[in-house]
Amino acid sequence: MDLKRVLVGIFALTLHSTKKLLFDKKVIITVLVALFVAAVMGYAGSQSNDPLEDGTNLMDTLILFFFMPVMAMIFGSSLIRDEIDDKSITHVATAPLDRAFSYLGYYLPLGIVVSVSMVAISSVGMLAFFGQHGLGSESLEIYLAFIALVVIGSFVYSSLFLAISTLFTKPVLVGLFYAFIWEGYIGSLPGAIQKASVKHYLRSLGSGWVDFGDISKWDQASSMWGSAAVLLGLTVFLLVLGAYLFREKELA
Amino acid sequence: MTAPEDVPSPIIQAQSLSKWYGQVIGLNTFQLRVMPGITGIVGPNGSGKSTFFKLVLGLIRPNAGSITVLGRSPWKNPDLHSSIGFCPDYESLPGDSTGREFLTLVGRLHMMHGTALSKRVQEVVKLVEMEKALDRKTGVYSKGMRQRMKIAGAMLHDPKLLILDEPLSGTDPLVRKDIIDLIKRLHKDLGHDVIVSSHVLYEIERMTHNVALVYKGRAVASGDISEIRNLMDSHPHNIIIEGGRITALAKTLLDQTYVVSVSFNDSKESVTVQVSKPDDFFNDLPALIDKSQCTVNKMYSLDDNLEAVFKYLVGR
Repeated sequence: MDLKRVLVGIFALTLHSTKKLLFDKKVIITVLVALFVAAVMGYAGSQSNDPLEDGTNLMDTLILFFFMPVMAMIFGSSLIRDEIDDKSITHVATAPLDRAFSYLGYYLPLGIVVSVSMVAISSVGMLAFFGQHGLGSESLEIYLAFIALVVIGSFVYSSLFLAISTLFTKPVLVGLFYAFIWEGYIGSLPGAIQKASVKHYLRSLGSGWVDFGDISKWDQASSMWGSAAVLLGLTVFLLVLGAYLFREKELA
Repeated sequence: MTAPEDVPSPIIQAQSLSKWYGQVIGLNTFQLRVMPGITGIVGPNGSGKSTFFKLVLGLIRPNAGSITVLGRSPWKNPDLHSSIGFCPDYESLPGDSTGREFLTLVGRLHMMHGTALSKRVQEVVKLVEMEKALDRKTGVYSKGMRQRMKIAGAMLHDPKLLILDEPLSGTDPLVRKDIIDLIKRLHKDLGHDVIVSSHVLYEIERMTHNVALVYKGRAVASGDISEIRNLMDSHPHNIIIEGGRITALAKTLLDQTYVVSVSFNDSKESVTVQVSKPDDFFNDLPALIDKSQCTVNKMYSLDDNLEAVFKYLVGR
């Protein structure tokens, strides 16, 4: 294996796909979501008497709970499938780069672009809410904690939706099911079943990092290190699985 | 004991190669040896040409049999792609990228970068005469421009073997001539081995005399095109003649022993003549036109007798 060739290939694909995703029409969705979040959090901020509690709860519910998996699904669930369908993947598949590494060249830009979108949406929401109450050190702590959570979440969910994009011929349907039914419903059920969702472990991390809102008092949280290990293990597993599937895939 | 002769080894060797998609057979015990030079793969649409190319590139894996390309098995062998350039028959250019961005991506994936890559991009776009369109989005390219840009992408990394799948498809006559000239130059001046496919024999004939006929998933014949031409000449040849007073010409033609049939097309100004000896027909035609006092505006030969040859070769 020529390591230099692998790194150059991954870098080339990362550069190309990042640019492609950033200038894709889907970015309009990021802008619309950011405007929606700004409107909701701006109004909520104007009505709040306990901004640290209310702001944290809104970030938890609106950003981490709802938009995090949805945005990753929008960007990721058809990334590879779109290129297979429009056959532009031919130039990647006929390059002297093992497809398992090409897969990384899709994952990295996806993780980066979802992170950028989620950081932008979170920042707009935070500013709209806390901008009305003054940005103190506590609100900054909340902001940084949620930024860290959405960045981690972006890379975890990206590995999941990219694997879905590789495995299924109709990945958007599977992605919609996962984002709304599994994460949205199963992830909010009481009891052990919610541990089958990514959101549970992200919120568990958040409960250790944030001192305000319901998330800080969440009694069903798993341990921080355990949650970190689960998220890391899941990401690595999904990456290996996706890369294997992509390598074995026939591009007819 | 004599020393072995310096015989070039085949660049592609397929042995009993089979590929099927569910119940649809793509290739069926396909046997072919492709030697260096320009080789034409001729066959009707759906005959298995593209399936063969996908197997050559390792995009799909065979269900049975084996294939070697430049001495190596292509499935899961990305290193082989350093030596192969591929121009697919389908639209594969990312429509939201410019020609330069597309070529830059292809170059970078082939370990090219910096000024060497920029220089090489300029060289190949000059070769395919696409300098002026380099910074335009490929989505607004014409069919001919897209074909040229795909060929530029295939040859960017200066591969030993170029695979061009239906490069003339959908292009106008002027573009066809340019692409045919380019393919000949790629071999003659730049030393690439080229495999080019088409469903029209005479297009391939303008590039090479070395062809393989593919029909219903099998390589039914390969070798010099003149042998195939002889086979074709032994089967009725369809020629369309259009002009004025064609009815008179049709009557005259029916008296000729080598004319198998004459049938009118949509109007009385166009007939399809089926002849058994095309050379005799073409030799006699000026005198027959004169005799029937007709005017011929257009005359062309259909290559559909290639289908008859295919059927003959597979024993049907």
